[in-house]
Parts: sequence; structure tokens; C-alpha cells
Amino acid sequence: MTATFLKRLGALAFASLFGLGPVVLFVGSAHASGGTAYKRTPYQTTRANAGTPNSDNVVKNSKGVVISYGNSAITYNAPPSTLAALGKALFLQNCASCHGSEADGVPANGTNGAFPNLVGLGPATIDFWVESGRMPAADPRSIEAPRRQPRLNHDQALAIAAWVNSLSPAFPSIPTVNLKSANVANGAALFALNCAACHTIEGDGDALAMGTYAPSLRHIPATQVAEAIRTGPGDMPRFTGNLSDYQVRDLVKFVTTEIQHPQNIGGFGLGGLGPVAEGFVGLALGVGILALFGFWIGERQ
Amino acid sequence: MSEVPEHRTPVALSGLSEDDPHLQSAAKNPLLVERVIAFNFLLGIVLVAGFGAAYWVNAEPWILGATMGGGLLFLGVGLVAWGKYLMPKGPFVEERHDLANAQVDRDAFAAAIVERGGGVIKRRKMLGGLLGGGLGIFSVVAIFPLLRSLGPLPKGTLFHTDWRSGSYAVDQTGRRVQAGDLAVGSIMTVFPEGTQDTDRGQAVDQTVLIRISNQNFTTQKGRETWAPLGYVAYSKMCTHLGCPVGLYEQQLQLLVCPCHQSMFNVTNGAIPQFGPAPRPLPQLPLFIDPQGYIRAQSDYHEPVGPGFWERS
Amino acid sequence: MSSDVVDTKRVKKQALGPYGPVGKALGELDDRLGVAKGGRSFLDKIFPDHWSFMLGEIALYSFVVLLVTGVFLSLYYIPSQAIVTYHGSYLPLDGQRVTQAYASSVDLSFAVRAGLLMRQMHHWACDIFVGAIVIHMARVFFTGAFRKPRELNWTIGSTMLILAIVNGFLGYSLPDDLVSGTGIRIAYSIILSIPLVGSYLGFLVFGGNFPGTAILPRFYILHVLIVPGIIIALVTFHLILLVRQKHTQFPGEGRTEKNVVGSPMFPVFMAKTTGFLFIVGGVTALLGAFAQINPIWQFGQYDASRISYAVQPDWYMGFLDGALRIWPSWSFHSFGYTIPFEVFIPAVILPGLIFNLVFVWPALERRYTKDHAIHNLLDRPSNRPKRTAAGVAVLAFLGILFIASSTDVIANFFHLPLSAVLWSMRILTIVTPFLAYPITYKICKELQATKGGGKRKTPNQVSRTAEGEYVATPAPVYVDDQHNELAPTEVPKFITAPPPESDDDGVRIIER
Repeated sequence: MTATFLKRLGALAFASLFGLGPVVLFVGSAHASGGTAYKRTPYQTTRANAGTPNSDNVVKNSKGVVISYGNSAITYNAPPSTLAALGKALFLQNCASCHGSEADGVPANGTNGAFPNLVGLGPATIDFWVESGRMPAADPRSIEAPRRQPRLNHDQALAIAAWVNSLSPAFPSIPTVNLKSANVANGAALFALNCAACHTIEGDGDALAMGTYAPSLRHIPATQVAEAIRTGPGDMPRFTGNLSDYQVRDLVKFVTTEIQHPQNIGGFGLGGLGPVAEGFVGLALGVGILALFGFWIGERQ
Repeated sequence: MSEVPEHRTPVALSGLSEDDPHLQSAAKNPLLVERVIAFNFLLGIVLVAGFGAAYWVNAEPWILGATMGGGLLFLGVGLVAWGKYLMPKGPFVEERHDLANAQVDRDAFAAAIVERGGGVIKRRKMLGGLLGGGLGIFSVVAIFPLLRSLGPLPKGTLFHTDWRSGSYAVDQTGRRVQAGDLAVGSIMTVFPEGTQDTDRGQAVDQTVLIRISNQNFTTQKGRETWAPLGYVAYSKMCTHLGCPVGLYEQQLQLLVCPCHQSMFNVTNGAIPQFGPAPRPLPQLPLFIDPQGYIRAQSDYHEPVGPGFWERS
Repeated sequence: MSSDVVDTKRVKKQALGPYGPVGKALGELDDRLGVAKGGRSFLDKIFPDHWSFMLGEIALYSFVVLLVTGVFLSLYYIPSQAIVTYHGSYLPLDGQRVTQAYASSVDLSFAVRAGLLMRQMHHWACDIFVGAIVIHMARVFFTGAFRKPRELNWTIGSTMLILAIVNGFLGYSLPDDLVSGTGIRIAYSIILSIPLVGSYLGFLVFGGNFPGTAILPRFYILHVLIVPGIIIALVTFHLILLVRQKHTQFPGEGRTEKNVVGSPMFPVFMAKTTGFLFIVGGVTALLGAFAQINPIWQFGQYDASRISYAVQPDWYMGFLDGALRIWPSWSFHSFGYTIPFEVFIPAVILPGLIFNLVFVWPALERRYTKDHAIHNLLDRPSNRPKRTAAGVAVLAFLGILFIASSTDVIANFFHLPLSAVLWSMRILTIVTPFLAYPITYKICKELQATKGGGKRKTPNQVSRTAEGEYVATPAPVYVDDQHNELAPTEVPKFITAPPPESDDDGVRIIER
């Protein structure tokens, strides 16, 4: 009885760290989100409570705006507001043609899909899309923008994020992951449960429904891993209260070490494609070469 | 073949002399071929010995394999070349004798069985029948231990999970899920509290919890209370072959099964809209208790997982 | 004094007989077993040399590699699903609770000397084994070697194909990793789908609901003892039949239904076949050295709530996976019962039909062609267009099913939507056999009509005269074909004269 009570008390305390914070901000942000140009349907995404400042290390500026928060695993930093002016100029140049000059998007029109409203999405979202080269989109009407060589550099991405965030400050801020004391085994277990279903256990990615796909994780920097997990870009689900910062740190460690530098102690990794590649090699190289030897050993008549 | 014992005179029998072309080797230049084969054998010896050395010093797997593989390959190539180029090239012939024996032998064989056996049975028909019955029933009953002792009867096991009315939804570490945990577009795997570390919990009770809205959500008529605050829960076991359906695309609102690409629409009760899955994923009715924990109203209203005969 | 020593030596040498200590030893063997006559005729056995007869040897020798490497692995693998905490050199698993089966397999890969090489050789040898069986069966089928009197051997071989596929599945499921564990889950669901008895069979085979703790030990004993035992017995019988009935041969110079032309067992065939054994072992070892296969440490242990994308079974099970992907969701449900046809048809009925077709083919062909004669000469495939076309159509059908098991990989590689790839596979599965049959038939007819069709043509050597004229002369015969220019002859009983008969008291007559 006592054990169960203590367990429940502990769970309540633990959950409150992650639960109450988002609940408060969720309630708050419902009023704080910027004007929406179109009606949100019940299953429209919101970014209300991802990677929120629910720890002790919240740093605010003189106006009470949160500029950084986090813990020993991940520090979240808002982009400097001084960059907002530059950000607005860059946005008008590179992004406004699709997302509108107020960054509030363009609604769906007939067969054309919507260009998303960026207001209230938080700086991490903006930073992820721009720094991974997906935005500005090469083909704005394709169902999924691929990772490309980024058109805008890190400072420019921060500037745009700063300006968009200034329209309606939201979270998560831009994460910096501290990989010291990360537990790669924990990361492996979390990856297998949460990520492998789309990205494959080797992290190579694969085709999903209707022309979308889960991208390969072989070349993604640590910050973008954390941003993607917290913000859930595109069709990727977001992981907010269901993964703590420590768990995200472990995942980032696993991705940047074992996924991106796999221990292929058995030889050539054959692309990590598993039995498909192995079957090709076994039949073409194995049986094929042996059949050629048989061709030499035997006669032709 | 080279040196003739002194008390014999070499006399070829069956019409072949020693320099008959059939007995000559196929190589045009036997000395060169012999040298090549010798070189192959030498390489083989060196490499196989190299394997021994590599093993002794615990070398990496690829070195072990390269030495052993290369060594065997060279030895094998040398041996084949010896047989192909340096041995009598033939061709030789042998007769195929008829496999079938003469008719009188076949008749004798048949007679042994039919006349002798038939005679015995004809005189003792009842015994033959009883013996047949004994052997027959033995062959049926002998299978019983091999079959029935292997496992329990299914009874109702496949019809229920461990979710009960009031079960707390917990994650894989046992932490209870709260109403504020997930943002819209989030997914996590949950289990009834206490089962997350058991095989049965992971295999049968596994459930995906998805937040598809901020408000109470209705997937189908009659399920108005099942998804409070937009938290909708479906069995993670695919109704096709039981793979965990962990692949969630939040903008397409699809749960895709990674095994054979069945696609389930999460907004209408996980009805499959593509792929081989025949039935929607069963939905777990949820409620949020006053402390904010997400709990199940009851067990699933139908058996989870792939189809089986008794599944009505 | 010295002459006595020499005399003793000579006496001893003569007491051994004209064939020295080897002859004496064989004499002792013959005294006890009576093997002299049979042994001699065994050594004289003629084996036709065509290269396509080597394909079965690839299968046989890769099976030998499997046995040897398998013994090594069986000494280290622990067939238990009891949970242990992994503490080894692979850090992403450190501290994780895994089954003993998985932990021992990871230890084999990281901690046991030569363990990873043995694991990889074993797995590559299995892929090669089944592949070699398939092309060997294809050769036997297309040349009509399954006809009377060899139908029994065809049946034995087809059984061995099924057993090899099953044993491969059992084997790669033993390490209990994420990828193969998913396969076991699918196997369980397939058993469940059998009408009437499915749930009972599933609970019996697995000792309860999935996953239970009984399945891996059962897989283990099936994989290392029961199935290999049956395969060894069958392959022995397969080879005995082959030796007794003698190998078939292609028609040609000096070859009839009543003889066999080729090389004798000893020394030529033994040399070539033993060399081939080493070559098969060597190629398998090289593959095991340089090409990583089944990296179970990267997959992680099996957990029924985890899944990876892009998961396929090993290649020889691919046709089942492909059929399961493309089959529509036809579930039958009424009167309170369900027959999951979307599983039962592609995973139980379809392979059942295909393998039944394989088994009854000799009988089918006998009935269709009304041919009950003994055949020791092979057909050239182009000379039997209907059989060849039917075989190609079935192989094409199976080939599309194999390709269909990698729909997601294809969609990802070519940037196509999944649904487009799937529908293409559905259409191709139906259309391809119907295209393959007439095309193959036509090609066979064309080859029949062409003079020397399908046979290797002797090339011409082109030389240039001093005046600049090009002259073409037939090239000299290939070394391989040189001996075929000779008429075949019998294996000589003695190259030199047979030793004189000894007289009744066993004393040899010595000529001085």
C-alpha cells in the first residue's frame, strides 16, 4: 500500500514537471497565437506545448520574454531579437511568395494545398526547415520537400526565425544538445521503439504513403535531430511530453554515432538494406560466381 | 604408371596402349600447367597457414575470412585444374545395364509378396484385420504427445487483452500518461499499467496513443466519449499479420503498417484505406480522470490483431 | 651378410604382392567386406562432364559448409528466451535486458574468436544453398531429367528444397533480433489464419500465445537436429539413386540411351569435385569476410512492440512476403466465424499449390505426353518448347512475387508512390506469366528452326595477309572440347598386365 502510494506520488511529481508546464502554456497559447487567416479544422496541427520552458534554468529578458531555458541535457535558446529586422527582409525576399508577407500562409484553394501559417510555430521549426535546405522549397507543390544544400546560412536562418517568432513568441526555442553523459544504449532502445518504424532501424529512411517518405538520417547534424523530434516537421509526428530532454539527448547521441557511423564489423554494409541486398549479393555473387566456376570445371558439350 | 616392376612386361589390355590419346592429359603445355597448379597450391598453403596465424593473434574477421577463403580457393582451383588438364582426358564410356530385372525375377519377387503374404492373410483374415486396426490406432495415438503436449488450448485467450476499466495508460518505462503530455500530432506507445515489461503486455496489449485534436474527438458514431481532448488510442497490432503499426504520418492522418504497407485512417476509427489489412484497428475507449491521467474505459470491444477462425 | 638383408627385403616386398602395401590393405578389406569387385566398378563409374551438372554440387558443398560452420555456432549459441542483462563490447546494448539467445548471438559476433566469420559464412552458405537448389532444379526440369526412372529423385529433391527453405527461416530466427522476430510474429499469424484449427495449431506450436518462451528452443532443435537429419538422410538417398541409376547425359557423339560418356570417378571426377568443394568453401569464406550479412547488433533485440521499416525475410521466403503484400484484403466473415483469406491464400494456399505442382509435374508430364519410356538422354530445352515455356512462366510468376516483397525499397529508390508500385506488382504478377509463355515458346521454336541453334559455334580466326587481305579460318578446337573429338572408350582394367594368378597355396609365382 505504502509503496504504491509513494510510487503514485513520485509519478505525480515527475509528471507535473512535464505535464503541468505544457498544460499551462497550452491554455496560454490558445489566446496568444497570432491571427489565423483560415479556419483551423479539429485535426489541424498546433505547436502549443513542444519542448517548453518547464525547468529551472529559465532566463528572461527585461521585458519578461523567455530567452533561454533547458537543463544539462539540452539548452533551448531563442534567436536574438536584434536579428528580427534582418529576418523580415530575408523573409520577404525568400519566403513571402508562398507563406505571405505576414507569414500567415495561404489557405487551400481548390486542388492546391495550403501554404502553412508559420506564426506561432516557434523558432526551432523555422530553423529546422531552413537549415536543412528544405526551405525555400525547390518545388512548392510537391508533397514533401527534400533535404538539399541550404540556400540560407545559419545566421540568416536564425534571423528569419527571430522575425517570425517576434510576431507571436512560441516554443520550442532552438536546441543545443550536450552529448556528454548521454546513454547510447538508452538512445538505441528509444530509437527502436519510436523512430525505426519510419526511418528503419538502420536509419536509412523509406517510402511512406502517397509519395511521402521518411528521409535518411545518415547526414543530419545533432541540432536538427533534436529540432525534428521536438517539432515534428511535415508528416513526422512530434515528441513533446512523451520524451524528456534526457531521452532526446540519448536519441541524438545514438543517431549521431551508431546510425551515422555504424559498426560494420562484418565487412561492407551493403547499404543497410537488409535481406534485399543480401539476397542480390548471395545470388549474383555467391551462386553466380560458383556457377561460373562450374562452367569452367565442366564441359560445354 | 611410370616404373614397371621388373618381373612384368607391360601389356596393354582392353585395347589401350600407354600413349593412347584417351590417357593423355588435356593440357597443350603440361609443364606450364603443372607450374601454375603448383603456384596455386603454394599460395593456398601460405594463405591457409596465414589463417592459422591470424587466428592466433585474434585478427579481425575480414582477415580471418580472406586468408581462409583465399587459401581454400587456390587449393580448390589447383585441384580442379589438375583433374581437368593433367589427368587422362578420356572420354570414357560405360554401359548402362538395364535396371529392370528379367521378367521371371520380377514375377518371383511379386509372387513372394502376393502368394506368401496373400496365403497368410487369406487363411487368417480376422487376424490381419485386427493387426491392421492395431497399427492404425497406434499411428493415430502416437501423434498425440507430439501435438497436444506442446501447448495449452487457446480457449478465450485471443479474445481479451489486459486493458480493464480504469487501467492507467503507461509508457514503456511505466510512467503514467497525463492529459498534457502530448501535443497535437504526437504519438506514443502505451500499455496497461503493470504489463509494460511483460511479453504479453508488449505483444498483445500494445496500444498507440495519438493526439489528433485539442478537443474531444469522435471517430465513429457511438464512440463520442472514446477520445477525450483529442487523445485517440488504437491497438498497435495490425489486423493483417500482427506487426506493430508504429508509423504515423501526422498530416496525412495515416497509421501505416511497416510490414506490408496497410494504411489506416486515424480520424475515422482506423479504417484501412489501402493495403492488405482487412479490418480497422480496434479502438480503445479512453477517459481522463480528475487527476489528468489517461485511462481506459474498458477492454477493447473486439479481439485485437490478425484474424482467426473463431473470431466472430 | 648383405645379400641376406637384401633377400629379406625382397622376400618381404614380394610377400606384399604386386601392388605393395596398398594392395595388401585392400586385400584385408576384401577378406572382411568383399568390396573388391564393387569397389573397382565404383571407381570406374563414369560421370558426364557437362557444366550444368555442377549446379547440384554447389548445393551439396554449400550444405557441407553449413554443417561445419553450424557445428561451431551450435557450441556457443544458447537457445533460451530467459532475460539477461547484456554487458559486452557493443555499447549500444550495454545494460539492456535481452534474451539469452540474442545475447549469445551478439557475443558470437563480438567476443568469440572467428565467431562473426562463422556466423556470416553460415548465413551466406544458406543463401547460396537454396539458390543452388533452385537453379539445379531448373536445370533438371528444363532438360527433362526428372522423367522415368528418376521421378523419385525429383520428389526427394523437391522435398529437400522445402526443408532447406524452412531450415533457413528457422536458422535466421534463432538470434531473436528485431528483424527476424517480426518474421516469427508473421509466421504465428499465418498459422492462426488456417480455418478451424488455426488458433489450436498456433498455441501448440508456440506453447501459448505469441511470443511465449517455448518457440526459440523448439526452433533450435528443429534447426540443428531434426531438419538437418532429414536432409542428410534424403541427400544420401538422392546420391545413392544417382549412382545406381547413373547420371543422365546430353545427346552427342558416341552417346546413347544405353551408355554414359564422361570421366571416371577416380581420379578425374574425385579431383574435380573435391576441388569444387574447396572452391565453394573458399567463395563462402570470402563472402563471409567482406560482405556483412544480418548485423543483428544493429537491429537490436526483438520486442513485440518494436518494428523497423524496410523489413524483408531472407530472399528465399521473398515470394511469400511479396504475395502477402499484393494480395487484396479479402477477409471472409459470417456465421460468427472468420476465414482471413487475405492471409490464408497467399501464405498457405499459394505455396501449397506451387509446391504441389512441382511434386506432381513428372506424373503430369507422363500423362500429357503419354511417354512411359526410360530416358537417360536429356532434352535440349529448346526441343521441348511447351515444357520450357511452362517452366519459364512459373519462374516468372515467382520472380515477380520476389520483386513484390521489396515494394517499399523500390518506391524509395525510384521516388514512386507506394500505391503505384503495389498496383504495378499486382498487374505484373498476372500479366508476366501470360507474356512469358508465348515468348519463350516462340524462342524455342526459333532455336529449333535455326541450324545449330543453341550450340556453341566454333569461332573463326581472322588473319591478315601481307597484301592486306583478311582470311578467316576456323579456330582450333577448345581445350575443353578436344577430347570430345575422340570416340569414347572403356576405362582400361589394367594399364600394365594383370599380375599372374597365385597358385592354390597362396604362393606367388615369381619370374626371375
